[in-house]
Amino acid sequence: MTFVTELFFKIPLLAIVVINLQAQTTFIDQFYYAKKLFHEEKYFNAVTEFKRLLFFDDTNKYDFEANKFIGLSYKEGSKFSDAIYYFTLAEKNVQNNEELFETRIEIIKINILRRSTGRAFALLDSLQNDNRYINKKDEINYWRGWTYIFSDDWENASSNFESISPNHELKIFSDSINSEFYDVRLSKVLSIFVPGAGQFYTGEYVSGLISLGWNVLWGYLTINAFVDDRIFDGFMIGSLLWWRFYTGNLQNAEKFAVEKNLNITNDALRYLKNIYSGPKP
Amino acid sequence: MIKILVIFLLIPFCIYSQSKSINFHSPENKKKFADLLFCEGDYLRAVEEYESIRDVIKNDTIDIKIMYCYSEIGLFNESNNSLKRISSNSPFRWAGLHLRLKNKLIENPKGLRVFHDMPSPPDMSERRQKLILTSNLFDEEIIYEKEDFLYVFEKGEGQTISYFYDLKKNPPYKSPALAGFFSAVIPGSGKMYVGEWGDGITALLVTGLLAFLAYDNFKANHNTRAWIFTGLGSFFYAGNIYGSIASAQIFNARIDFEFRDGLNLFLQQKNYFMPEYDFCN
Repeated sequence: MTFVTELFFKIPLLAIVVINLQAQTTFIDQFYYAKKLFHEEKYFNAVTEFKRLLFFDDTNKYDFEANKFIGLSYKEGSKFSDAIYYFTLAEKNVQNNEELFETRIEIIKINILRRSTGRAFALLDSLQNDNRYINKKDEINYWRGWTYIFSDDWENASSNFESISPNHELKIFSDSINSEFYDVRLSKVLSIFVPGAGQFYTGEYVSGLISLGWNVLWGYLTINAFVDDRIFDGFMIGSLLWWRFYTGNLQNAEKFAVEKNLNITNDALRYLKNIYSGPKP
Repeated sequence: MIKILVIFLLIPFCIYSQSKSINFHSPENKKKFADLLFCEGDYLRAVEEYESIRDVIKNDTIDIKIMYCYSEIGLFNESNNSLKRISSNSPFRWAGLHLRLKNKLIENPKGLRVFHDMPSPPDMSERRQKLILTSNLFDEEIIYEKEDFLYVFEKGEGQTISYFYDLKKNPPYKSPALAGFFSAVIPGSGKMYVGEWGDGITALLVTGLLAFLAYDNFKANHNTRAWIFTGLGSFFYAGNIYGSIASAQIFNARIDFEFRDGLNLFLQQKNYFMPEYDFCN
C-alpha cells in the first residue's frame, strides 16, 4: 500500500519536473539550433532562426548573442551594412565590457573589409582612449595595423604590428611588401630625363623601347625641321607629335608603377586571405 | 497529505513554465514571425515562412502578401502564379490583378493596353487606367491623344505625365545623317551640332592644321612629308565624320535611356498605382 502511495506521488512529481525542464529548454534549444546552422555555414537559415528566437524571446535573454550571430552571418554573406546594423543592435544589449569590446571589434573588422577605413580608425581611437580597455592595447594595435593594410599604408601597418612585438609576423610581412613597392615619383623622374627609362625601371622593357623609339623619331624630325629653318613645321611636329609622345611616356611610366604596386598589394592581400593563419577581418 | 500538497503547489509552476513554452513552428507562430519579416522588408524570408503555412492557414491576406513578396524579390512568375490562389470573391483579387500588371510591366516594359477592357471596381479601374496609360509611354508609338491620356491623372502627377508625353512625342533627337553631313562640310561642326563643343573645336583645328601642313609641304616640294600629313589629315577627317555620326547615335540612346529611367522612377514613386494596404500597423 505504501508503495502505491509513493508511486502516486512520484509519477506526478516526475511529470512536473519533465514538463518544467522542457519548457525551459525551448529558447535554448532554438538558440543552439540556430548556432548549429551558423557553424554548418547555412547562414541564410541561421539568420532566419536567430530572428525567430529574437521575435519570440520576450525575456530578451538572447538579444546580444542572437544579434551578434545574425551580424556574423550577414558578414559571411558579404552583406556588410546589414551586419553592422545587427552588431549595433548587439552592442545595445551587451552585459559587460568584454562583450562591448568584442562587438566593437566586429564592427571595426567590417569597416576594414568594406574599406571605410576612416570609420575603423575612429572606432579604434575611441577604444584606445577608453580606460576600460587599457589592457587590450595589443589587440587594438593589431586591428589598427590591419586597417592600415587596407588603406594601403604598409609602413604604418608595420609600425603598429611592431608595437605588439618587434618580430611580429605581420610586421615582417608588411616590411617585405613595403620594400617591394616601386617609387612612382622616381619612375616619372627617370622618364623625364630619358624617355622610356621609367618603364624600364618597372620592368616594362618593350613599352620602354617603343617609347624611346617614338621620342627619338619625333625629336629628330622636330630638330631637323628647325635646323632646315622650317620653323612652322618644327613647331607643329614638336607640339603635336613629339610633345604628345613625350607626355605619354611620362604618363605611362607613372601608370606602370601604380599598376605594379597595385599587383603587389593584391598579391599581399591574397596571401593574407588564403595563407596567413592569424586573426583576420 | 503533505505530498499531495507539494504536487498542488508545483502545478502553478508547471502552468507558468508552459506559458513560456513556445512552439516556434506552429502555423500561428510562423504567421506572426512571417508578418514581422514582411514588415521589416525581409521578403525572401517572409515568403518562405508564408509558403510553409499557406496550405494550413487559408487566408487571402497571406496569399496577397506572398504575391507581393515574390514581386519584390523579382520572382515575377511565382508572384503571378500566386494569383490563382486568391479567389474571385476576395477583396484582394483586384489588387492581385493589378500586381500582376505591375510584374508584367517590370519584366517587360511595354504597353499593357491588351488588358484595357478588364472589368473592375471604380477605384481599381482608375488605378489600372493610370498604369496602362503610363505603360503606353514605353511603346514606340503613343496611341492616345494627349487629352485622352491625361484625363485620369490628378494635377501633380498629370504634369509629370504630360512632360513624359511631350518628350515621347517630340524627343530632342539629333540626326546622325545630319551630324555626318555637317562634319563632312566643316570638320567638327557635326560634333558641335550634337553639343560636344570641345571635341568639335579640336577636330576643326587639328584637321585644318594637318590640311595646311600638307598644302604647305606640297608647295615647298617636300612631297614625302606632304603625303604623310595628307594621310594623317584624311584619317582625322574621316574619323571625325564617323565620330560625329556615332556621337549623334549615342546622344539619342542617352535620350531614350533617360526617358525610360525617368519613367521607371516615376512609376516606382507611385508604386505602380498599387492600392495601399496597411499590413504593418
